[in-house]
Amino acid sequence: MNSHKIMVIDDEKIVGDMAKLSLEQEGYQVETFLNAEPALARLKEDKFHVVVTDYKMKGIDGMEVLRTVKKLYPETKVIMITAFANLDAAIEALRGDVHDFFPKPVKIKELKESIRRALNRP
Amino acid sequence: MKIEKKLILSNVMYGAFIILIGFFAFQNMNLVLTKLRFVEIADDLNASFLEMRLSEKNYFLYKDKKALAEIRGKIDYTVRTIGEVRDDIIRAIGETDLKKLDSYLKAYSDVIEEARTGSSMDQHLELRLRAEGKKLKEFSDSITHLERRRVNDIILSSKRILMFSFWAILFSALFLGHFISQKILRSLREIEKLAKSISGGNFQKIEVFQSNDELGSVIAAINSMSEELGHREEELIQSKKLASMGILTAGVAHELTNPLNNISMIAQTYAELYDKLSGRDRVELMSKVEEETERIRKIVKNLLDFSKPKDSNPNEADINSVIQKTLTLVQNMIDVSNIETTLHLDHALPHVYVDEHQIQQVLVNLITNAVQAMSSGGRLVISSRRGKSGNSVEIGVADTGKGIPPEFLPHIFDPFFSTKGDAGTGLGLSVSYGIIKNHRGDIRVDSKVGVGTTFTLELPLYKKEEKNR
Repeated sequence: MNSHKIMVIDDEKIVGDMAKLSLEQEGYQVETFLNAEPALARLKEDKFHVVVTDYKMKGIDGMEVLRTVKKLYPETKVIMITAFANLDAAIEALRGDVHDFFPKPVKIKELKESIRRALNRP
Repeated sequence: MKIEKKLILSNVMYGAFIILIGFFAFQNMNLVLTKLRFVEIADDLNASFLEMRLSEKNYFLYKDKKALAEIRGKIDYTVRTIGEVRDDIIRAIGETDLKKLDSYLKAYSDVIEEARTGSSMDQHLELRLRAEGKKLKEFSDSITHLERRRVNDIILSSKRILMFSFWAILFSALFLGHFISQKILRSLREIEKLAKSISGGNFQKIEVFQSNDELGSVIAAINSMSEELGHREEELIQSKKLASMGILTAGVAHELTNPLNNISMIAQTYAELYDKLSGRDRVELMSKVEEETERIRKIVKNLLDFSKPKDSNPNEADINSVIQKTLTLVQNMIDVSNIETTLHLDHALPHVYVDEHQIQQVLVNLITNAVQAMSSGGRLVISSRRGKSGNSVEIGVADTGKGIPPEFLPHIFDPFFSTKGDAGTGLGLSVSYGIIKNHRGDIRVDSKVGVGTTFTLELPLYKKEEKNR
């Protein structure tokens, strides 16, 4: 069991629910949010090791989440998932020091693998 | 009958009439000439006869036989003259009168001969001589007089005929001209009416008066052109719709990604955690799959409905639900463009009488334009409200985009007018305009450069009696 904390932000409820079900099997503590505002507020209270965020969201979008997290909590890894897989978005995310970038539909195994790598690296 | 044929026919008739009159006048002239020549001859003869009577008088006064010889000479001269121009005289007065003249001359000549050969002049012979001379002179006078009168009559009747022909030709030409120009003007007015109705966007074939002349063919041609334009407009609406489909499909494809991802993630989790899931969990996950497939079905159906070519089929409709359905088609396009959408819908609106799909098409066009005008984000406000007149509903599509320059405003509804370069076909607004006008509605634009553009649609309310239309 590890006590790594993982946050999932996606306005599609099922994404958070399934990620939570799957990741909790690996022993992670998972919290899910449907939009970014409460998620960023939650980050102020607690340290999260990995933030998985959707790229395109109403209000604060994934890119802004990435920038905020990297600015305030540089240790925290951000993994971005998106329904709009395009090169510009990927490049923009990489420049923002994203840990990984997944187009939807997401392969949960790959996501888990990516999280594992994120946590093994300092 | 063709107008060309009518004109040719009337020209031929005029020609024939004029030739006839000319021929008649020529004949009259010839007759007048013949008569005049006779009158000349008759004058000559009259002079001879007068001289004969003078000689006759001398004979009676002086009993001089020389006078009789003179008369004899004159008679011979007269007979010779008549012999020379016999044909002319026959032509002028006819054979009967000439024979009469011959016989009078013969009788007179016989009496003269008797007087010359006879030894003395008796009372009886003197009376006969006088009587025959007088008859001859009177007959000659009367013929001359008659012929003069005839010449007069001929000239008078010629004059009358020419005057009559002049008026007849003048009036028939005026009548024919009036008739043809009326016919042409009437047809031109019909054509004008037709052209106006076509430019008003009404491609219905208009029944006009039956006419198998050139103007009838022109009207038939315009009618078939109008019909063809109607087909073309339908094709245009459809092709514009297909062009919009290109934009929509991209958005809709993205729209599909989320439910597909959800199903995929459920399936992966289901397979991975199968043993650990309770029966209730499994049922719950499967019902979520069902929900997501329903979501996909709706998106696809919406797109399919939009793409299908349809004849205009107006019905009672709730405009707010039309707006909502349209938004599901374009929501994704709006979202990816960093545009905030606000809806101000009046939910107490009466129903409208519209073809839902066509109005959806117009809204897609307007929203696409708005999104393209706000390339760096902005606010899109879609509103519905009661029209000012009370018997319509107004829909507003307002953006905070770059706006339309005032010099372009009068042309934005023209076909093929586009400010988007290769990005636009220039058909969106013209097709939208056609659709709204076919609904007896109105489409207006209000725009300020740098501030934004608002399109307002005005659509007629649904009335109970529309059902029976």
